[in-house]
Amino acid sequence: MGRTDEALVEACLAGEWSAFDELLVRWERKIRGAIYRLVGSEEEARDLCQEAFLKAYRGLGTFKKEARFSSWLYQIALNLCRDRVRRRKGRTLVSLDELEEGGESLPEARPSALDLLQRREVCRTVAAAVAALPEEQREVIVLKEYQELTFLEISQVLDVPLSTVKTRLYRGLGQLRQRLEHQGLRGTTPLPAPTP
Amino acid sequence: MECSVLRDERLDVLYGEADPATRERVEEHLAACSTCREEMAALRGLRGQLAAWEVPEGLRKTVRPRSAPSRFLAAAAVLLLAVGAAFGLSGSEVRYEKGQLAIRLGSGDRDLRRLLAEQDARHHEEIQALQATLSAAPRAEPAVLPQVEEMIQKSELRQGELLRASLEDWTAKKEAQRRYDMARISAGLSYLDGKNGQQVARTTELMGYVLEAAQKR
Repeated sequence: MGRTDEALVEACLAGEWSAFDELLVRWERKIRGAIYRLVGSEEEARDLCQEAFLKAYRGLGTFKKEARFSSWLYQIALNLCRDRVRRRKGRTLVSLDELEEGGESLPEARPSALDLLQRREVCRTVAAAVAALPEEQREVIVLKEYQELTFLEISQVLDVPLSTVKTRLYRGLGQLRQRLEHQGLRGTTPLPAPTP
Repeated sequence: MECSVLRDERLDVLYGEADPATRERVEEHLAACSTCREEMAALRGLRGQLAAWEVPEGLRKTVRPRSAPSRFLAAAAVLLLAVGAAFGLSGSEVRYEKGQLAIRLGSGDRDLRRLLAEQDARHHEEIQALQATLSAAPRAEPAVLPQVEEMIQKSELRQGELLRASLEDWTAKKEAQRRYDMARISAGLSYLDGKNGQQVARTTELMGYVLEAAQKR
């Protein structure tokens, strides 16, 4: 079992700067994915992810030991995304080309051309529906659905009460449901109920 | 009423974060409430759709940071460079001929020795030629030598005179400085003597006044 994130941060602060490489390897992919879903552009996701880690690296000294490194990192990334989206006047980009690339890699052996087309269409519609959500709801949806953070972790990242997180999620899911149904998509492939 | 009260709990169940008691309570409610049951099913279906949005392939790769080369690797690189340089400087070479690898070592050393021997022989010849040229040169006339000796003697005398004059001048200057210093010291002592004399006279005068006053009493 390797060292915890927080132990790696302490190692960094003690002068073992190579420990940050491990943090980068652990979190870069997830953070990049979250950023991509919040800003909607592959190129910007790369830039912002790099910026987030750079900020984290420079600000390691300000990291509070009682906090979780991942929550802190998500906070940095989210702030960068908010700034970027605000600069674009609230518009979240969804690149169709990138979405098609994403659609090709769905995990199934030899999908038919029709399947591929349908999946690309679903992917595109879902991305557009999430992008159209208000920022607060979009953030919670992304952190819960795609980053798989717990409600508690989300409340720490966003620095809001647990009930606020659930309200935003509930409303966000409701809006998504409406939009997707409006687009002709119905939940035909429900996820199995999670086991405790 | 119970539907709205259990909203957060339903979300806990939906995402697998509910404790057994909460889960049981929600299940009981869902069994009794068709609206919530349908909503729950719809939300599970929605989650299935949301999963279709994947991150592009290019963003999924984890970029491994390039680690700094270890000291061992750096030392190995330096050693390899040194061996390569020595190999090249020695004139050794590696060839691939007729499907075989051929390594030729040290030919440069032999070449270097040959070149040094050639240069040594050339220098030896040049020295001999120079000696021959010098021995063949015409000798100086006998009358010239006394003249040269006389010139050297005169030069030595001049140098001696100059040295003596310089010494005398330096001695005179030193003597003058010494006298000046002695005069200053003497003046200083006289001043002190005078001061002491005055002090003694003053003391004597005061003593006289004292004696005179005592006698009057």
